[in-house]
This record gives sequence, C-alpha cells and structure tokens, in this order.
Amino acid sequence: MSPSKTDGSRNLFHVIATDLHFWIPFAVLVGGLFLLDKLR
Amino acid sequence: MPAAPPAQSSTHATRLRSLQALGIFCGFAAGAWLGGAEAPIKLVNPDISPITLSLIMVYGVFLARWSVPALIRGTSHVRNDVRQAPHLVVWAVLAGCMWAVANTLTIYAIRNVGLSIAFPLWNTNSLLGIFWGFLLFNELHYAGWKRWLGVLGGAACMFSGAALLAIASAHQAAPGKAAGGILAALGAGILWGTMYIPYRKAYLTGMNPLSFITFFTVGELATMTVLAIAYRGATPLWHELIGAKSVMFWLMLGGFVWVLGDLFQQYATKYVGISRGIPLSNTNQLWGLLWGIFVFHELRGGSHTIYVQVAGGSLLMALGALSIALSSATAREHSSWQDAADREGNRYGIEHEYVRAGMEGRAYGAATTSRSFLDWLLILVTTVMFAILAFMAKLPHMDIALGWAAALTIAMLALLATCGIALWRTTRFR
Repeated sequence: MSPSKTDGSRNLFHVIATDLHFWIPFAVLVGGLFLLDKLR
Repeated sequence: MPAAPPAQSSTHATRLRSLQALGIFCGFAAGAWLGGAEAPIKLVNPDISPITLSLIMVYGVFLARWSVPALIRGTSHVRNDVRQAPHLVVWAVLAGCMWAVANTLTIYAIRNVGLSIAFPLWNTNSLLGIFWGFLLFNELHYAGWKRWLGVLGGAACMFSGAALLAIASAHQAAPGKAAGGILAALGAGILWGTMYIPYRKAYLTGMNPLSFITFFTVGELATMTVLAIAYRGATPLWHELIGAKSVMFWLMLGGFVWVLGDLFQQYATKYVGISRGIPLSNTNQLWGLLWGIFVFHELRGGSHTIYVQVAGGSLLMALGALSIALSSATAREHSSWQDAADREGNRYGIEHEYVRAGMEGRAYGAATTSRSFLDWLLILVTTVMFAILAFMAKLPHMDIALGWAAALTIAMLALLATCGIALWRTTRFR
C-alpha cells in the first residue's frame, strides 16, 4: 500500500473514532450482544 | 452567500416538495413489503433454533442486497460512491451488525412472549428514531408546533394502534420466560431505533441507498455467521442447516421480500428523514395483520371484542400514518438538514456538490450505470439458487386462503411497480 493510502486510511479511522455519532450505535450494539448472550 | 434568483428558488422548492412526496410514498410501500415478508416465514415450523432461522433469512437477505442493486442500476455506481465517501462503508457494516443482533432478539421475543407483546415493544424504535433525528441531524428543527404535533401525535397514535392490534392477536407467554422476552423485544427496538443513525449519516452525505445496502449486508452476514457458529457449534449448525433444506426457500424468500421493503424504507429515510420515514414503515404491522387474518385465518372464531380491537387498532395506525404523511418538512426545516449535511461533509472531507446532488436525488459526475458481467452473474446466481431451493421446498399442510394470498400479492406488486416508477422518474434510483 502506498504511504498516501495508508495515511488516508489512518486519517479516516481517526475521524470516525473521534465522531461521537459512531460510539452511540457501537455502544448499543455491544449492549445488544450482551443481552443476546444472556438470553440464549 | 447571495440569495438564489426567484425562478431558481421556485424550482428548488418544487423539487423538494416532490422528493418529500416520494419519500412518504416509499414509507407506505416499505410498510407493505416489510409486512408481507412475514408471510413466507409463517410457513416454517418453529422447531428450528432462533439463531439458525435468523442465519438462513440473512442468506436470502444477502443474495437480495447484491442482486437487486445489480438489476436496478448495476454495481459500478457502488464503486463511485465508495470513492466519494469511503467512511460510509464502516457505517454501513456497523448498521448491518446491529440489524442482525436485533433480528435474532425478535425471534427470542416472539417465542417467549408472543408477537402480541413483542411487536409494540420493538415498534418503539420509531420514537427513538424521532429522538435521534432531532438530536443529531436537525430534523424537526424550525418545524413549527403543527408539524411537531403531527409527527409525535402520529407516532403515539401508531404505537397505541400497534398495542391494540397486538392484544387482539394475543398469545400466551411461555411460563417463566416473560421477562426475557420483554427484554429481547425492548433490546431489538433500541437496536433498530439506533441503527437509523448510520442510515441518516449515509444519506445526509449523499450515498445512494443501493450502495449502502451492499455493505450493510456484509455486517449482517458476518455477525450472523459468527453468532451461529459460536452459539450452535460448526457441526451441529451444519446438520441443522441440512435438516432445514425443505423450509430454506420460505425463509430466504422472506428475507428477499424483506429487502425490497427495506429498500423503500432506505429511500424514505433519505428523502423524509428518520423521524417520518420510520413511523411510516411501521405500517408493516397492518400488512402483517392482513396476511394473518385473511390468508392464515388467525382470528377465526374470535369474539366481538377482538374484532373491535382489530378495527380500532387498524384505524389508529392508519390515522397516525396519515398524520405523519401530512407533516412533511418545510423549506426552513430542510435548510437545517442542509446544515447537518454540511457538517458531515466538512468532517469527512466530502465534496460539497456530491452531498448536495445526493440529497436532491440528482446525478453527480459522469458515472456509468450500465450493467457489467459481474452484475449479470450476480442476478444469475441468485435466480439459480432460489430455483434450486424452490425445487427442494415443501409446502406445509396449512389452511391457506390462496385467493386472498394472490390479492395481497397483487396489491404489493402494484405498490412495488408504482413506487419503483416514481423513484425512477424522480431520482433514477439515486
């Protein structure tokens, strides 16, 4: 992978990781998996 | 920024109005197809485990989510969208993971407390959708009290109607399992209500629903496969899948029909937002009830009270949907959506014109939309797979009213055709 592509990917994941909107559904997903594990 | 000339501004307003009407139409079509997806699943006996049942449905969903976009526009536009907004792949996969977990939870909920209690509980997803739409994406900002009343009153009406319908078709809760079933239904509602954050995120930044669903389904399939292998074990799962070959067609057909409904739901979300699109899609319960009563004779021999509850619940749901349909966004509210879109565009470095074109259902750049060899291969593989499964399928011995089944299928197909033509004429499926 070229350096510019690597930088682009890193930057993309940094922007997503610092977006609060991402963590809301992510936290709900983890909660859902936890609930499913308890119910099965 | 200078104000747009009056003629240009008037054209823009007309375009926004037609997109709003289209979004509302898509919401109603979504209700019909999402509700109709329950019909093939009713033909399957309940001995299969919820995880395996969900996994087989997701196989059908996966095939549909790749073959339908290939048929409608070709997959070349998917590559163009990913080049413009690569971050949305992550959002789509996240939404797919959420859908898979929520769908599995609903199966546990139905088995433990019955559809009657489970359905209204997970339909609270529309209230959560309104909350997230307002909080994160400027929906219902500057909407005025009449529109607030229309949307919130309509959602409350639909919730009450759903509860009445559910009581009318009541099942007995399995002893000792009620709490788990209620938790599963509420969990599914929270997962689905929050899943609309990625949906709205994608459509505010201009992504085509046909592109979004192709990555969404990767999350669905990966999550369900991991869950199924982890919970059932690879060898027992394989035996269960082999044992289920005679019903696999019905489950995968249910998944395929569901995808068509979801596609309309995605367009509704895109053009009227989650605060209006999701409650409209929740009219699926009415369609599910029509299939249940007329095709599967579910309320046969019911008391007068049950029929009053069904009529009252249906009327409340219809009134709620009408109230939301009449509360379309004003130009001022739409401009606050644009602010949210600009914020997303700036954050993720997306071209302003791409975002605007996507929101207005216009073409961006000179993207090719012709179908490639890969597209035809996807369509062929899906058709052959369904043909083989149909050959192996067995129709269970059930009392089914085929006349009503045909009438409802024709009504659904008519909605598919008219809404499909409207989408094509207005946006070319953008």
